[in-house]
Amino acid sequence: MIQAVDVKKSYQTGETEVKALQGVSFSIEKGEFMSIAGPSGSGKTTLLNLIGCLDKADSGKILIDSETIHDQSKKELALLRREKIGFIFQSFNLIPVLTAFENVSFALSLLNVPEKEIEERTLILLEEVGLKGMEYRLPNQLSGGQQQRVAVARALIKNPLIVLADEPTANLDSKTGEDILKLMKAMNTKHNTTFVFSTHDQMVMDYADRLIHLHDGQIQSDELNPAAKG
Amino acid sequence: MKFLIHFAWKNLSRYRKRTVITSLALAFGIGLYIFTDSMLVGIAEESERNLIWYETSSARIMDKEYWQEKDNLPLKYAIDNKEQVLDTLKAAGIKAAPRTVFAGEVIVYKDPYPEDGSIYSKIFAIDPLKDSDVFRFKDAIVKGRYLKPGENGVLIGSWLAEDIGADVGFPLSITTRTRDGYMQVIDTTIVGIINCPNPYINRASLFIPLDTADSYLDMRGGVTEIDMKYSNFRKAASISSEVLEKLGPLAERVEIKTWEELAADFIALAEMKSKSSGIFLLLIFVIAIVGVSNTMLMAVFERERELGMMRAMGMEDKQVRRAFLLEAAGIGIIGSLAGILFGILLDFLIIHWGIDYTSILRKADMGYRVSGVLYGTWNPSAMIKAFFIGIFLAVASAWIPVKRGLKMEITDTLRNV
Ligand SMILES: Nc1ncnc2c1ncn2[C@@H]1O[C@H](COP(=O)(O)OP(=O)(O)OP(=O)(O)O)[C@@H](O)[C@H]1O
Ligand SMILES: [Mg+2]
Repeated sequence: MIQAVDVKKSYQTGETEVKALQGVSFSIEKGEFMSIAGPSGSGKTTLLNLIGCLDKADSGKILIDSETIHDQSKKELALLRREKIGFIFQSFNLIPVLTAFENVSFALSLLNVPEKEIEERTLILLEEVGLKGMEYRLPNQLSGGQQQRVAVARALIKNPLIVLADEPTANLDSKTGEDILKLMKAMNTKHNTTFVFSTHDQMVMDYADRLIHLHDGQIQSDELNPAAKG
Repeated sequence: MKFLIHFAWKNLSRYRKRTVITSLALAFGIGLYIFTDSMLVGIAEESERNLIWYETSSARIMDKEYWQEKDNLPLKYAIDNKEQVLDTLKAAGIKAAPRTVFAGEVIVYKDPYPEDGSIYSKIFAIDPLKDSDVFRFKDAIVKGRYLKPGENGVLIGSWLAEDIGADVGFPLSITTRTRDGYMQVIDTTIVGIINCPNPYINRASLFIPLDTADSYLDMRGGVTEIDMKYSNFRKAASISSEVLEKLGPLAERVEIKTWEELAADFIALAEMKSKSSGIFLLLIFVIAIVGVSNTMLMAVFERERELGMMRAMGMEDKQVRRAFLLEAAGIGIIGSLAGILFGILLDFLIIHWGIDYTSILRKADMGYRVSGVLYGTWNPSAMIKAFFIGIFLAVASAWIPVKRGLKMEITDTLRNV
């Protein structure tokens, strides 16, 4: 469903060139719950950004739905993200002036879905992520965990091909982080949505069905985890 | 689009402090603009009015030779058939007043004056019965009374009176030359002091009865000018040509100059002033721009991450831009409306109470035909203009930071620091 083929990416900062990814290849199948792990600076964010069409690789190919995304325009990429990719960010990134409900429905209103349907789907999903009764609160009236639940709902509302989460629990305490992971796993099971998340936290890795270890921009190991929690 | 408007409104009401401060900066500029415009237009209109009411009238009939030597105030180029001209004008329904204008030296002596002295002055010989049909001096008497026909009385401009220490009842001698060039002294008594809104009159003018002047100056019934009041001074040129037609054979010896021709220097000055006041108004806008763009800049920079997130979620750049610019337009609308209210309040003050400029105008001749209290005028077109300029300013000052934000890589705006 999604494929990375010998993907390379480096950054130029002044005189020095940082090789963030040095030839990464793997594929992701529908419904996978997969973690990309690795120490700081190993290239996790860089890789997720490339899969999420937020950035372009220097060489190699990324295929989404067997379409390579190398020569799309900015506008086409925006459309692709809008329809097929959900993001969950480390620092939640909710729009502060919008309520939980509006933050979620916003993602759907970009897709020309009828208003009635937007409302129904949003309310159902907010209930599923455990926010019944808090639909009309603003982000600053919600705890970090609750905000991240809104973010999960926002990523899922459009039934995306894949949800990408860059260190989704890094800003949460371990108990709340684990709850978010359980929620993501539950959604993965229920809707068969593909999740890819990065982390360097062992607890988080324990939930993944599949684990890719990155080191210095290269895949060190890529293995299934039959004993995954959740 | 509906969502974007909703979103913009949410942002405006949520960041209330910022909305209020930015709108206030804008409102201040807009209000000041409306006020300044009101004042400048008020001065211009009043200048024009005072020029016509006290100086030029709508248009003036004079001998064809007069204009070339007008600076010498020559008596030899007089209109000798004034009765016929006046009758024709009367039949045509045009108000008119004959005048003879001459130059003279005013001589005063110590006691009752503070000291001996003489001063050059422009003397208007006016018909006390007809002059008020065209000019407005009757209402400008601040002390004493208006002229009576045949008397040796004189009206004196208030600033001139103050300068030489004159008062009602004081004697005043005018040395001049008759129509034929002989020296003549006219001994008069001050009967009234004139203080009109036209500083040119206040500063150096004297008025005596026309028939008195006629005999002293040997005018033999001639007058140097006949001033007319038109129903609409804006159409002075076309009415003048109609008048010339009506005068028929009488028009052979005379010509008509409209107030615009009579005060060409004033008109030129007014045009120059409206240019320089344009620069002044521009300055006010620069102040508003600086005030607005500062907060706008901050507001957008602060939300770079939000901007990046919106793009990550698949909003197109133009949609993101529209969202932010709509918000700025909202501030523009609020600021402009508040500015117009502020402007109306300031206008109200300056239209009803005015600003007293007497001392400034007295010391410095600025070419304005106004003195005393200046009043503004309502100018709705300036308000409408200001409204749109306000919105434009707000949107323009958000444009640059939004453009910058959109230029950044999405990944850079989202990076955790
Ligand atoms: N925009 C950038 N400009 C320059 N260098 C960058 C940029 N983004 C990433 N890098 C560098 O590329 C390498 C990989 O960075 P990346 O952010 O992908 O690592 P990471 O695994 O996500 O690390 P962390 O766990 O700290 O988030 C690092 O050495 C980083 O300094
Ligand atoms: Mg990272």
